[in-house]
Amino acid sequence: MKFLIVEDEEGLRKSIDQYLTAEGNICDWASSYEQGYQKLSLYDYDCVLLDLTLPDGEGLQLLKHLKKINKSDGVLIISARNSLDQKIEGLSMGADDYLIKPFHLSELYARIMAIVRRRSFNGNSLVQFNELEIDTISKELKVNNKLVYLTRKEFDLLLYFVTNKNKVISKSAAVVHIWGDEADMADSFDFIYTHIKNVRKKLTDAGCKDYFQSVYGIGYKFSES
Amino acid sequence: MKLFSSYNRILSVITLTGLLVIGFLFYQMLGQYLNRQIEDHLYEELLEVRDFAHVKNILPSPDGFDDVIVEYKKIKKLEDQRKFFADTNFYNPKKKHQESGRYLMTQMVLNGQPYELKIIASKFERKEQIKSIVLIILLPVVVLLLILWLVNRVLIRKMWIPFRQILTNIKAFNINQEEVFKPIETNIDEFRELNNAVLDVSLKVKSDYKEIKLFTENASHEMMTPLAVINSKLDTMLQSNTLNKEESEILADLYKATSKLTKLNQSLLLLVKIDNNQLQDKEEIDLEALLYERMNYFQDFIQKRNLSVNTEISKLSIYANRSMVEMLMNNLFSNAIRHNYVGGMIKIVLTPCSLQFSNTSTQACLDPVKIFERFYKDHASEGTGLGLAILKQVCLRQSYLLTYDYQEGQHRFKIEFNKPQ
Repeated sequence: MKFLIVEDEEGLRKSIDQYLTAEGNICDWASSYEQGYQKLSLYDYDCVLLDLTLPDGEGLQLLKHLKKINKSDGVLIISARNSLDQKIEGLSMGADDYLIKPFHLSELYARIMAIVRRRSFNGNSLVQFNELEIDTISKELKVNNKLVYLTRKEFDLLLYFVTNKNKVISKSAAVVHIWGDEADMADSFDFIYTHIKNVRKKLTDAGCKDYFQSVYGIGYKFSES
Repeated sequence: MKLFSSYNRILSVITLTGLLVIGFLFYQMLGQYLNRQIEDHLYEELLEVRDFAHVKNILPSPDGFDDVIVEYKKIKKLEDQRKFFADTNFYNPKKKHQESGRYLMTQMVLNGQPYELKIIASKFERKEQIKSIVLIILLPVVVLLLILWLVNRVLIRKMWIPFRQILTNIKAFNINQEEVFKPIETNIDEFRELNNAVLDVSLKVKSDYKEIKLFTENASHEMMTPLAVINSKLDTMLQSNTLNKEESEILADLYKATSKLTKLNQSLLLLVKIDNNQLQDKEEIDLEALLYERMNYFQDFIQKRNLSVNTEISKLSIYANRSMVEMLMNNLFSNAIRHNYVGGMIKIVLTPCSLQFSNTSTQACLDPVKIFERFYKDHASEGTGLGLAILKQVCLRQSYLLTYDYQEGQHRFKIEFNKPQ
């Protein structure tokens, strides 16, 4: 897939670039309004990551431009401002999602993939991984074509890991993904362990291979090897 | 004590003593003056007696005079010819009763016979005279003083009105509110000066406060991007396949610190946002539904600690800003869970006018004033120390009364919706 990162902070841009490229995607970037304007006009992208505060202009104007020239690129706004008004404005102007800095790269990727899935015209709501088949719309999981029942949180967690397959996901990233920012509890890391343990058990009981790997107590990885 | 009563107290003590002293002196002087008049009169009578005796060769009868009584007493020889004046009480045969008088006593030879002579004059009428004079002079003075005092009272009360107004306006001045200190109209220079000084101070305070808020906001915002960089770099490092145990632990600590810093920043921004009144859209909120929804959200945490939740929930809808009320609930819930012990208890009571959260805790009673201060927290607490400050600020903004108390081992936070702080 092809993404455009419009972000003036080089460090952040590089990290995102690296993370996305490792998944086999193609990343293009722009560090200013002008650059972003040109690239958006010339090329088509599956998803555009748009920072709102650029050194020479407002990111929202780029979004406006994109809609004006009738492009159907998905747009994910990444902003340091946690303002409800700006969020509503961005979404009403046609952005698909709004992510507040700082964020985890795994969360970013999960959001991008959700946008891409939603926007794909051939109704590609299915995520497949070997014997696993996850329907993101009906929220159903099938292992070898047999339904497996997961709770909502377990389902979200599994989808999160499958989307970010082969990546190590830190516990704190998983906590934020499941509970949001509000639950800043000391216990929350333990829950990730519990939930993953439950998912693992349900999957292996259904005859699925155990793809979860623990990484030194810092996080987990969902991968084949 | 009020300025006026303090002033009045001093003034009335001085006036009263002054009045008494002056009255006393006045009375004494009048008495002296009258005595001298009587003495002159007595002396004249004495001369008359002598002339009478000299001309007629007989003594005048003791009550032969209009207003004096003359007493004679034969003595052997003259001893002392000086004239004595003194006060006495005597029997007035005309009026037939005792009255006070003044007499002249001397010794003199009348018709060849030495006599001791005593001439007594009544002081009664003179005394009455003094009384009248004193009353005529003192009464108007007292009345005048009374009138002055009354006028003073009314006048001063009126003159202090601008001052009271300034005071009321200063008390009403709130740094968090949009309106500045309300200046008053007066043509008294002192009050105008005070008014202008307060106005200047309030404007300065206001702009300083605004600057600080702006600074906090900008600083927090500027920190978010570097934080995002750190976070993303950590995520990138995590993907390295060569991490050993030690490095992983370092990474975990870095994650923790970054997440705490982020949380702190978000809380500060939130406080500024509440302070700035940026959360104004109000709507009807069903608290009962929201309470159950949040309880559901925190269910994992409640179960993990094996907490029992007792609820007494009645129907209540309030008109408020949704995100503020959600914040309020989140803070109440996470506090009640975070500071609880395993197997503890949370009690939630929603009445038609208040919301109460009580919880058991390992900690004893907290300082009810300090806990709402920013960055006040227990050493063991994992939080940012801003949760209760946010709670307080939200209540302040929405005009709810937030109170804390500790009873029978339970910490209780109570929010009353219809009582402003």
